[in-house]
Amino acid sequence: MGSDFTQQIRDKAKELLEKGTVECVIGYETGSDGFSARPAFIYEPAEVERLVFDNTCSHNLVKYLLNKKGKPTAVIVKGCDSRSLNLLLSEKQIDRDNIFIIGVVCPGVVEWGWNNRSDQLQIRCNWCRQHNPVIYDFLVGEPVTEGPPDDFADIAAMETKSTEEREAFWREQAEHCVRCYACRQACPGCYCIDCFVEQLDPEWVGIRIAPEENLMWNTIRAFHLAGRCISCNECERVCPVNIPLSLLNRRIEREVLGLFDYRAGMSEDAVAPLITFMKDEKLGIGE
Amino acid sequence: MSVDNGPLIIGFLCNWCSYAGADMAGTSRAAYPANIRIIRVPCSGRVDPLLIVKCFEEGADAVLVAGCHPGDCHYNEGNYYSRRRFALLRALLDFMGIEKERFQVEWVSASEGKRFAKIVTKFTEEMIERGSRKAS
Repeated sequence: MGSDFTQQIRDKAKELLEKGTVECVIGYETGSDGFSARPAFIYEPAEVERLVFDNTCSHNLVKYLLNKKGKPTAVIVKGCDSRSLNLLLSEKQIDRDNIFIIGVVCPGVVEWGWNNRSDQLQIRCNWCRQHNPVIYDFLVGEPVTEGPPDDFADIAAMETKSTEEREAFWREQAEHCVRCYACRQACPGCYCIDCFVEQLDPEWVGIRIAPEENLMWNTIRAFHLAGRCISCNECERVCPVNIPLSLLNRRIEREVLGLFDYRAGMSEDAVAPLITFMKDEKLGIGE
Repeated sequence: MSVDNGPLIIGFLCNWCSYAGADMAGTSRAAYPANIRIIRVPCSGRVDPLLIVKCFEEGADAVLVAGCHPGDCHYNEGNYYSRRRFALLRALLDFMGIEKERFQVEWVSASEGKRFAKIVTKFTEEMIERGSRKAS
């Protein structure tokens, strides 16, 4: 799979750059440890040999498109990443005409290992039902059959705990948080010009080091992705203190699926659940 | 029911219906516990989830949001948006350890003064029973 995918991507990238269809191809190259992929920005046809694709290609490269506004760019997306592309298109953040999408049927991505190639699939791949890209101009790989609907077993397990236990759990996680905002920076859905967390008036999140402030940040970060999170789980992957952010994201995802039968990023003209309403719906609020 | 020792409830009331409803409770002499601290907002749709989470962070025991009944919003559709938003927020807060009973959303019209007093009384009693968040 790996070398074949890599070759197809290189050929396509070369073609796009030679024809001048795009200025830059955003893909993956082998990192300094010799086996982990890292993002690569290819501007010259001669450079395409740097591009690779294998199961260490974890990054969601769609985030970089926000830095390439107005410039014709090609991007390599896996299934989950392609949903975030749809998210940004539906929110009018990027221009479809400027983007060439190289979709890859995702084989699943592995955890990052220190000096060793890991075989352990990332947890996001356990719940993934989108190995095939939902949007692409050029597809690499044969589409696969997706598994049965997600049962959200991790969320259900968390919910067997009492409220007090859950509060203590999140309180402890908040004690670990250093508010580096890596979760925000990695997230394709977090692109506000002014994030609430940096506002000084009102100061929603104080500068002091305190779990309350961390909890405030983590709660609102998750909520601002309500109905928008496409579960690429980059936030959790980049967290330096391993806070299980997927639990928060997926708790909301399950609610959105249950109440509104909606999955984010499935089409480029989708209407997110929180920017619309139905007059006669029953949501257990004020009834 | 002492205010100093009782639960602290923050109430966000929409200007057009629920705040007027609370006013009606006053003019019709319907008493309700003073544990609720009322903040007047233009619309229940204006209540940003940030406000709710901040209340809990700063030590509130419970939060009440009240707005016009669906269909009666002064701005036609503000409360429809808030209904969706709070349905999700409530689930998230409960998951993070703030019981869903502590965050209540009610529709109170300007004429429902007595009902407003009843809602606040019942809510306060429930919170007394549940106890302070800090104690838990």
